Amino acid sequence: MLKLNVLLLIALLGSSLLAVKNAYESRRVFSELDRARQVQAQLDAEFKLLGAERQAQGTHLLVEKAAREKLKMRTASPAVTTYVFDPAASGAAR
Amino acid sequence: MKKSRPVHNTVRSVNYATSPLLASKTPPWRSRFVVVLVGAAFLLLLGRAVQVQIVSTDFYRAQGEKRFVHKLPLHASRGRILDRNGLVLATSVAMPSVQVDAKTFAADTAQRKALAGLLAMPAAELEQRLATATGTVTLRRHVQEATWQEVKALRLRGVQEVREYQRRYPDGEAAAHVVGFTDIDDRGQEGIELGFQTQLLGRNGQRMVVRDRLGRVVEDIGDQADPVDGRDITLSIDSKVQFFAWQRLRDAVHEHGARAGSVVVLDVQTGEVLALANYPSFDPAQRRNLSGAQLRNRALTDIFEPGSTMKPFTVALALETGRVTPSTLIQTAPGRITITGSTISDAHPHGVLSVAEVIQKSSNVGTVKMAMQIPAREMWEMYAQIGLGQKPRIDFPGAVTGRLRPYKSWRPIEQATMSYGYGLSASLFQLARAYTVFARDGELIPVTIQRQDSPAGGQRVISAKTAQQVREMLRLAAGPGGTAPQAQAIGYSVGGKTGTARKQEGRSYTNKYRAWFVGLAPVGQPRIVVAVMVDEPSKGVYYGGAVAAPVFSQVVQQTLRMMNVAPDIDVKAQISAKPAMAEQESF
Repeated sequence: MLKLNVLLLIALLGSSLLAVKNAYESRRVFSELDRARQVQAQLDAEFKLLGAERQAQGTHLLVEKAAREKLKMRTASPAVTTYVFDPAASGAAR
Repeated sequence: MKKSRPVHNTVRSVNYATSPLLASKTPPWRSRFVVVLVGAAFLLLLGRAVQVQIVSTDFYRAQGEKRFVHKLPLHASRGRILDRNGLVLATSVAMPSVQVDAKTFAADTAQRKALAGLLAMPAAELEQRLATATGTVTLRRHVQEATWQEVKALRLRGVQEVREYQRRYPDGEAAAHVVGFTDIDDRGQEGIELGFQTQLLGRNGQRMVVRDRLGRVVEDIGDQADPVDGRDITLSIDSKVQFFAWQRLRDAVHEHGARAGSVVVLDVQTGEVLALANYPSFDPAQRRNLSGAQLRNRALTDIFEPGSTMKPFTVALALETGRVTPSTLIQTAPGRITITGSTISDAHPHGVLSVAEVIQKSSNVGTVKMAMQIPAREMWEMYAQIGLGQKPRIDFPGAVTGRLRPYKSWRPIEQATMSYGYGLSASLFQLARAYTVFARDGELIPVTIQRQDSPAGGQRVISAKTAQQVREMLRLAAGPGGTAPQAQAIGYSVGGKTGTARKQEGRSYTNKYRAWFVGLAPVGQPRIVVAVMVDEPSKGVYYGGAVAAPVFSQVVQQTLRMMNVAPDIDVKAQISAKPAMAEQESF
C-alpha cells in the first residue's frame, strides 16, 4: 500500500512538473507566433506602402513627361495607328 | 521504579499527555475558548472566501484582469478606390505614430533633444506635452518608417509606436475632385471618400491577451473579434482619360488666362462617367493652405446659364412636334428680333437660314422664331425631361439642382431667352447628361460614377429620327462653316454645340464670359459625350469655339483611341514602313 502511495506521489509530482513545463513552453511558442504575426502584419503594410509608392512613381503625369521630354515621343493619333480588325473576336463579342 | 499514572482528581480535567511534566490541571473553559477561537478564525476565513469567490467575484476578477489581461485593438483598413481598370486612386497604408507613456518615460536632456529633432517639433513643445501628460500621449502621427526606426534606435523607455492608416492618392491633382480626401482620422471629407464613407469604412476588431512581465503576448483570452476591412469601390473613371482630360483643360486654362475650367466625359452606352476633371485642382495629400476655389468640383456644384448649348433642344422639340423640318427656311435678317419691347440679336446678321443652319451658325433670332411657335408648357416639359432643374442621381456629394422656373411664370421674353440658354441654369454635368439624348437616339440615360458593364436603359425623350437629324446639325456646327471647326478630331466625326455666355453679377451682365462646348463622337454611332467649360478667359479670345472646342477635340481623339474605337472617317496615314535590312548573302 505504501509503495503504491509513493508511486502515485511521484507520478503526481512528475505530471505537475510536466504541466508547468508545458504551460511555459506553450506561452513561449505562442509569444513567438505572435511576434511572427506582427512581422507579417508589418511586411504586409510595407508591401502596400511600396505598392502605393511604385504607383506614385509611375503616374500618368510622370510617364507622359518622360515620354515627351526624354524619349521625344508624341501622342498617337489615328493617322499613325494601324487598326487591325479581328472578325472572329467581333463575332464572338456579338 | 514506580510507574507514574495519570492524575485523576475530583475536579474534571483533561489529560493532554501521559507525561507528568505536561500534566496540568486546565480548567475546561480554557480549552473550549481556544476551540471556539480557532473555529471562529476558520469561519472568518470561510466568510472571506465566500465574499471573494461568490459575492465580490466580479470585482476581483476585473482587478485581476486589469493587471495581466490587455485589450488590443485590431485596426481595419479603409477600402480602396479603384479606377475602371483596377488602378488604385486611393489606398490606405499603415504608418507609425509615435507615442510616449508619460509614467515610464525616461530620457536625459540630449535624448529628449534628439527625439524632438526627429519628430520635427521644438524641444520646448516636447517638454510641455510631457509635463502635462498623465498617461499615454501621441507625439506625432503618421511619421515615416525611417523616422520611427531612428526614434527606436534612441532606445528610450516609454516610447512606443502604434500603426495607424494614412490615405495615399497616387493620381494626385488629376483625380482630386472625384476621389476627394479623408481627415487624419480616416473620415471622408469630400468626393467619393465622403459619398461612399459607409462602404469604405471598415469595422475595427479586438483581442484580449495576457502579457508577461516583459510585455510579450503569451495567451489569447476569449474569442477574437476580427477586423472587417472596408469595401473597395471600383469607379467608372478611366484614370488615363481622366489624366488626359485634366491635362488638356489645365493647358487651356493657362493658355487663355482663364479663372477655371471643367470637363466631363460620359460613355453613352453604359452611362458611366469616364472622366470628371476641374482646374484649379489640389493634391489630396498636401491640403495645407487650400482655397475654396481649388476645392470646388465645378462640374457638379457650379451652375451657369448654358447659353447656345441649349439651342439643339429647342430645335429638337420643334422638329419632334412637326413644326419645322431640317430644311425649313427661317428669315433671321436683319439679325435682331423684338419681343415685348426687348431686342434679341445675333452676333452677325445671317439672312435666310435653314433650321440646320440655325444650329450651324448659332443664330439666336432663328432659335427664338422657332421657340415662339411652341407653347411654354411643351418647352418646360422638354427641359424637365432632359434633367434640368433636377438633382442628378449620382452617388456624389454636392451635385446641384440648377434652376428651371415653372412655365406658368414665364413671360414671352423669358421663353425666348430660355430657348437659347439664358434665364435657366444647369451644371456642366447636367448638360453633358442632357446631350446623351442626341447620342442615344432620343433616350436620356441614367449616369453612374461606379463601373457598370451592362448597357444602360434610357428614357425616351424624342424619336430616334429627330435625334439623328439634330446630330447631323451638330456635325455641321462643329465643321467648316460652323461655330467650332476647331472641335474636329483626326479620324473621328464629331458633332457639338458651342456656348459663350456672358456672366451675370447681381442683376446685370458683365463683360466676363464663360466658354462652353458640348458634343459627341463619332456622329454616326456615338460612344462618348464630352462637355468642356472654361471660365473667364481673359486673353482676348473668349468664344466657346476657340477656347473650349480644342479641348473637346483632343479629349475626344484620345478617349476614343483608348476605348479602341475604330476611326469612322478616312485619315491620311502617316505611317511609313522602313524596308527591312536584307541579310547579307554569304559567298
